[in-house]
Amino acid sequence: MKADTASEPSALAATGLTRTYRGGKGVFDITLKLAAGEVMGLMGPNGSGKTTLLRILATAATPTAGQVRWFGNANPHDPSVRRRLGVMLDQPAHFDKMTGYQNAWFFARQFGLSEQLARDRLDELFHWSGLWDAREQLVGEYSLGMKRKLNLVEALVHRPSILLLDEPTLALDYRAELDLIERLQLLSLTGTAVVLATNDVHLAERLCDYVIFLHDGRLIREGHVPQLLTEVAGSKEVQLQLNSPISLESLRALPAVEAANVEGDTVHIILARGANPAQVLAVLNGTADMVSTMRVRRPNLGDVFLKLTGVALPGAR
Amino acid sequence: MTLAGTIWQRELVEFAQRRRALVIKLAFPLVFGIPLVFAAPPLYAAISLTMLIAIIGSLGAGAVLTRERQSGLTLRYRTLPVTPGRLLIERLSTSAVIDLLQVTPVLVLIALRQPSQFAWWPALVLSTAAVLLIGNLAGAVASTLSDSPGEVMLYVFIPLLPLLYLSGVFTPLTQPALLAISRLLPFSYLHESVLGALGGQPNLLPWETLLGGFGFLVGAAGLTGRLGRRVLESD
Repeated sequence: MKADTASEPSALAATGLTRTYRGGKGVFDITLKLAAGEVMGLMGPNGSGKTTLLRILATAATPTAGQVRWFGNANPHDPSVRRRLGVMLDQPAHFDKMTGYQNAWFFARQFGLSEQLARDRLDELFHWSGLWDAREQLVGEYSLGMKRKLNLVEALVHRPSILLLDEPTLALDYRAELDLIERLQLLSLTGTAVVLATNDVHLAERLCDYVIFLHDGRLIREGHVPQLLTEVAGSKEVQLQLNSPISLESLRALPAVEAANVEGDTVHIILARGANPAQVLAVLNGTADMVSTMRVRRPNLGDVFLKLTGVALPGAR
Repeated sequence: MTLAGTIWQRELVEFAQRRRALVIKLAFPLVFGIPLVFAAPPLYAAISLTMLIAIIGSLGAGAVLTRERQSGLTLRYRTLPVTPGRLLIERLSTSAVIDLLQVTPVLVLIALRQPSQFAWWPALVLSTAAVLLIGNLAGAVASTLSDSPGEVMLYVFIPLLPLLYLSGVFTPLTQPALLAISRLLPFSYLHESVLGALGGQPNLLPWETLLGGFGFLVGAAGLTGRLGRRVLESD
């Protein structure tokens, strides 16, 4: 997170954000800051408060305490604030009795685009999203993935300064996911601030500069991705498939090994911080042909969350 | 493909695209209206038509807003760069205009039945519009308390029937206090104008009814603007 300067306020700055629901759920005392061009990930298990936080940042929900500033403006009802936000909420809600193009046109015009500009941009975005052939189909007949693509089109059409996307890759096919990542990278390079609420570890690692971890509505850890991977997730994991047994004690005695375990013919080794898999292989070289395969798994954001909370993110590995 | 860039255009386009609903919506007031206007005594016809118009106004927007709240569309509206007051005014006034189109054939039947009562026509149109807008607003407020269109009906009907009674729709009011209360309710002006247009014996003059209808129409529009945030941004 970059600090505010006198001439350039943060794209998004929230302090002490709290939103409580009956039953004690909600988000509590969240403070965050996002500069133009930065991509921030909100991660956490289901019910951790990602969606609530994103809705507050998107002006769709009101905090019970705390404040959000969008480019220095703290009024969520100010149309000039909302005009700079592109929002994709968790529910892909549309007017089902209207076509995809009619829906997107309505939202584009609401954000002040002229007819010509709306037409040009929608044509480009419908081609990009693969919805062009379905543009005259009623949204009620769209699949979930198509509805979410339409949501993306509607969030992008007015070229917002801040994009707030809730699980943007959910229900998207692999091609669409790659296209989205590429587009978001481009937008970030051109100064768009992006907030992603996601459990998609690969998406977060590829896109996010900064990640916030939520658990039970509270911010439990934040940081830049490489920093989190080093500080929290720590070591690499090496999996060795062996042709003949090996003494675990001798492996564990190696300085490069933090922990070792055997499952069938596979040895799982957690390398000590800063250690290299080659150091383990060098020792095993003395026993030729012992190792049939070796796989090195680098720590990911799923490991970070697992370490922080003891809860595995869905699909993190 | 007709494209709608504003909230009111979108409401109209969606309404026009739903052909079957359009036919049913336009036909059903006539099913009630034809026998009432041509066969019933003016007093009974005025009671039934006032109730019909009040119910049509109350149900339309309330049911739609409840469905939108459930589907997540209301949340999306909150992210649009439009103030909630303006948004609600545009939506409810469009819905009221659609309702007015729906009851127009019945109003035309009334005019055809008693052409000599033309002095009541402006008051009839204005008080009908006022009741439809107020009904839409009541439905919209009820939608914030409801999880289904059925619940909206319940919350709308519970106050509607006593209010119709207090408006003097069911029985002529003679006590001064009750009479004064009835003049504070929009249904009394609608009832009087329907009765007058059908050739009955209303208690008010056409211009008094016209003034009452106009006042409630303006008041309802102002209240709609003020209730925008309450209706569209309540969780």
